[in-house]
Amino acid sequence: MNLEALWLIPAAPLAGSIVLLAAQGRMPQLPAALIGAGSVGLSAFVALSVALAWGDAGHAPYAQTLWTWIDVGGFTPRITLYLDGLSLVMVGVITGVGFLIHLYATGYMAGEEGYCRFFAYMNLFVFAMLMLVLGDNLLVLYLGWEGVGLCSYLLIGFFHLEDANGYAARKAFVVTRIGDVAMALGLFLLYRELGTLEIGAIADGARAAWGNGSPMCTLAALLLLGGAVGKSAQIPLQTWLPDAMAGPTPVSALIHAATMVTAGVYLVARMHALYVLAPTAQLAVAVVGAATLFVAALAALTQRDIKRILAYSTMSQIGYMFMALGVGAWSAAIFHLMTHAFFKALLFLAAGSVISALHHEQNIYRMGGLWRRLPIPFACMVIGSAALSALPLTSGFYSKDEILLASFAFGATGPWFWAIGSAAALLTALYSMRMIVVVFFGAQHHETSGHDGLNMTIPLVVLALLAIGGGWFGLTPVAAVLPDGGAGAEHGGVLALVTMAIPVLGVVAGWLLFTRRSSWAHLMQTPLGEGTRRLLSAGLGFDAIYDALFVRPFVALARLNRNDVIDGVYVGIAALSRSLHRAASATQTGHLRWYAVNMALGVALMLLLAIGG
Amino acid sequence: MIVFWLIIGLLAGGVVAWGAERLREGAARWVSLAVLAVALLVLNKIWATPEISAHGAQWYALERMSWIPRFGISVQLALDGLSLVMVALTLVLGLVAVVASWTETARRRGFFQFNLLWTLAGVVGVFTALDLFLFFFFWEVMLVPMYFLIAIWGHEARAYAAMKFFLFTQISGLVMLLSILGLVYAHYDASGVLTFDYFALLQTQLDPRFGFWLMLGFFIAFLVKLPGVPFHTWLPDAHTQAPTAGSVILAGILLKTGAYGLLRFVLPLFPEASLEFRFPAMLLGVISVIYGGYLAYAQTDFKRLVAYSSIAHMGFVLLGVYAWNAIALQGAVMQMVAHGFSTAALFMVAGAVQERLHTRELSKMGGLWTYAPRMGALTLFFAIASLGMPGLGNFVGEFMVLLGAFEVHVPLTIAAGIGLVIAAVYSLWLVQRSFQGRITTVAAFRDFGGRELAVQIPLALGLVWLGLNPQRLFALSAPVVDRLAALAGVGP
Repeated sequence: MNLEALWLIPAAPLAGSIVLLAAQGRMPQLPAALIGAGSVGLSAFVALSVALAWGDAGHAPYAQTLWTWIDVGGFTPRITLYLDGLSLVMVGVITGVGFLIHLYATGYMAGEEGYCRFFAYMNLFVFAMLMLVLGDNLLVLYLGWEGVGLCSYLLIGFFHLEDANGYAARKAFVVTRIGDVAMALGLFLLYRELGTLEIGAIADGARAAWGNGSPMCTLAALLLLGGAVGKSAQIPLQTWLPDAMAGPTPVSALIHAATMVTAGVYLVARMHALYVLAPTAQLAVAVVGAATLFVAALAALTQRDIKRILAYSTMSQIGYMFMALGVGAWSAAIFHLMTHAFFKALLFLAAGSVISALHHEQNIYRMGGLWRRLPIPFACMVIGSAALSALPLTSGFYSKDEILLASFAFGATGPWFWAIGSAAALLTALYSMRMIVVVFFGAQHHETSGHDGLNMTIPLVVLALLAIGGGWFGLTPVAAVLPDGGAGAEHGGVLALVTMAIPVLGVVAGWLLFTRRSSWAHLMQTPLGEGTRRLLSAGLGFDAIYDALFVRPFVALARLNRNDVIDGVYVGIAALSRSLHRAASATQTGHLRWYAVNMALGVALMLLLAIGG
Repeated sequence: MIVFWLIIGLLAGGVVAWGAERLREGAARWVSLAVLAVALLVLNKIWATPEISAHGAQWYALERMSWIPRFGISVQLALDGLSLVMVALTLVLGLVAVVASWTETARRRGFFQFNLLWTLAGVVGVFTALDLFLFFFFWEVMLVPMYFLIAIWGHEARAYAAMKFFLFTQISGLVMLLSILGLVYAHYDASGVLTFDYFALLQTQLDPRFGFWLMLGFFIAFLVKLPGVPFHTWLPDAHTQAPTAGSVILAGILLKTGAYGLLRFVLPLFPEASLEFRFPAMLLGVISVIYGGYLAYAQTDFKRLVAYSSIAHMGFVLLGVYAWNAIALQGAVMQMVAHGFSTAALFMVAGAVQERLHTRELSKMGGLWTYAPRMGALTLFFAIASLGMPGLGNFVGEFMVLLGAFEVHVPLTIAAGIGLVIAAVYSLWLVQRSFQGRITTVAAFRDFGGRELAVQIPLALGLVWLGLNPQRLFALSAPVVDRLAALAGVGP
């Protein structure tokens, strides 16, 4: 296959989605599974062939224009797919990890109501995500961007009979849309200033038109960051992600861990030309990332729901990616994006196996002692957690290490970023250990049932291998695209040793802390401990603040004005004219005497006026 | 004479439908269906014929007959790209209206179809008349049968709603008539020729202050129709109380006559005054976007919610028209068509739900997806379309309006952007409350069958087509839009 097959990569899952939707839920599970997972598998296969062809062609960027979308007044966005090292890595993650998750889902969702609909939405998601990373202009990217948001909404609320799921789905959509509007404004600004939405042309135009630190460039970069922050669940628009766990677990693995939530990272990396010109905006990216990675790691420490632990963990890891972008470690950010996709997908799928073995139990304190019963999920959890904690030799180690070392080297504020990142790395090891110890060790509370089929075990094994070895070879294809040329920081020295030792320390501390449950429990029972636990469990109270500041006033005012004050004016006019009409018609009594008296009075009045005048 | 006969055909079709129902029960709707189908075929033929060059523009049809020569009034009908798009939308949504109300009306079905077709004839007239007296005539023609549709076949508060609709439109029509007469007088005063001819009036030299007042008269009439805040309050009552076909036509087509009026008359006849009035008008558009959306969220009645959402969506049209550059104007045209499709479909769902549950109250719905997955999926689709999902026509419209407006006025564009968030809130809330969530037990809830799907699915595909390949539509409206955009250069 050659490069011209590029369009097939997104087309395959789109076709799968259309077929499944057209079946209106009447298709049996086997063909639905074949189409659902098969279309993504086909897409992955084409992606691989295209990657090989791209390599043969000398790694030159390749653009394929499908048709002109709009052509009005000089505004000419085209539906064009663009392949370079960066989009190739993203395509690889989306189709590769995506296929494994689809395969897992064919087993996980077996017997569920709406099986067909599930795969239709999942395929649609893969299509939209591919458009996002393959779009050569910001409008196509935006199409994918909103498309993945839609699919996220549809899949969070997949079990739509529960009101809570619907709420979580709408919350996710609306909160991210706030960011999306900022992003749209960024698009308008870029178009007004540079006259194009094509990413390459924007980069050239920005370099030509804007000097270093130009306010216009900073503004555009910040507006795009608004979109990235919403989609990637970073502070201040992070509150939707924990609730998004209402979706089926494969959805959490695919959308809310491996791919969609990292779209913000991709966006900033893709638009790096702007951020390089706008150091203030780039610093903002680093600050957002640092704040989120730390806050989310804290919040993950006290969650009871296994999926919420993983959700906060995802938020925190994306924080690392943002920090990496902010300190200019562009390649490290994308590298961590990829390794994170491997180990976080693994963690979610393993958690899914645990959850389904326990009849949809998600509270870790009702699990316990499962390592003997569920050896494969246990092994996967351990491997995934090791990579998440960045223990040496796992994939996560290579990428996170690069980020932390690059942060340290980032000017005067660098050591601060390094310190926050390292502190959170310690927390990461702690919360990972807490999850493993509480879920898999100690006394068993529940009987397990069922058995994962091969279609669920194979993805787990493959992802486990990737979580270990996925970082060994680095990430070369992005080097040509990103400004740092893919150069990792120097390994070695005291700093590198400390950075490497921190997670190990965390794991040991975690083991000691959580296997003797009393010590942790004691800490949590002190008044300070209890208060802290509550604060952390609630994600540091962002929800409550937003609720009081925005949601409740919005709803209250809407209720107050349900009947539209403006209509009141017209109703008032109508009422006034009716009462005037009544007053006037009241004078028509039909009594001759009444008329005579009135006439006499009128004549008298006129005479008086005439004399007076 | 093809436009003339198109209108006559619709009027005659109405009479035939009325008569046919007397001969055979249930025949009227078939007559309507046939008349509209033939009309669409005729329109399709015009589409293919070579264009006529006149008055510095290209026309698909240009017809002129003497009517009242003494006052310079003639029957002058014309189709350019914009008119063609609007007439096509009218006929398509007319078909939708007939199918949507196939089983809804039990009483006086012949007269119902008569009113339907006469309304459509009036609308086609409005979209094609280029004599201002004739335009006003059609403006009234579409009003009266619409009044009957609401007053006779409407829901519980139909008399109130119909009267409100009638008064708002009638008073605003009077304001417009005064402006037309003022314009004609000004032209007579300057040139000595008494005429209502559009092309002649375009050349009128107006005193700027007088011109501003004339512009305002037209503007108010069209703003009421659009509708824009603060003249919007007739709409929720009329749309909610009207039978399904009435709602479809009101929201899908009648509102667009307001926007069309702005594009066809206000901007070209009074370019200077309109430019002077540009920011107030854009502001009204933005207020409509936010206020309409906010009220939509507050509603508990399915139809009323959709009705208020129309105010928000038409606010984008108003914003786009007065942003007044090619991108925003094309966005406004696209928004008109896409909103016509999505809202017509949502009103059809509202009608179907009411027919089955005998209520429009959202608190009495919930979980209907279980009974009617097809209806649920389509409702979801059109709700998603109306909140501006890329890939569908509504997105192209709103995005281009905002893109164009951004070049003219940044703060207003930001404010309108907030409307996009509100649209997400109310659209998803609507789907949640009706089709998702806890199941309300209902005795029998029939899903959409072949008849409904035959209309809903083409509308859905139409939105996809408009969203992914909008260029076909833009090519039609481009000459009109480009001429309008060029006008924006004349003012301050």
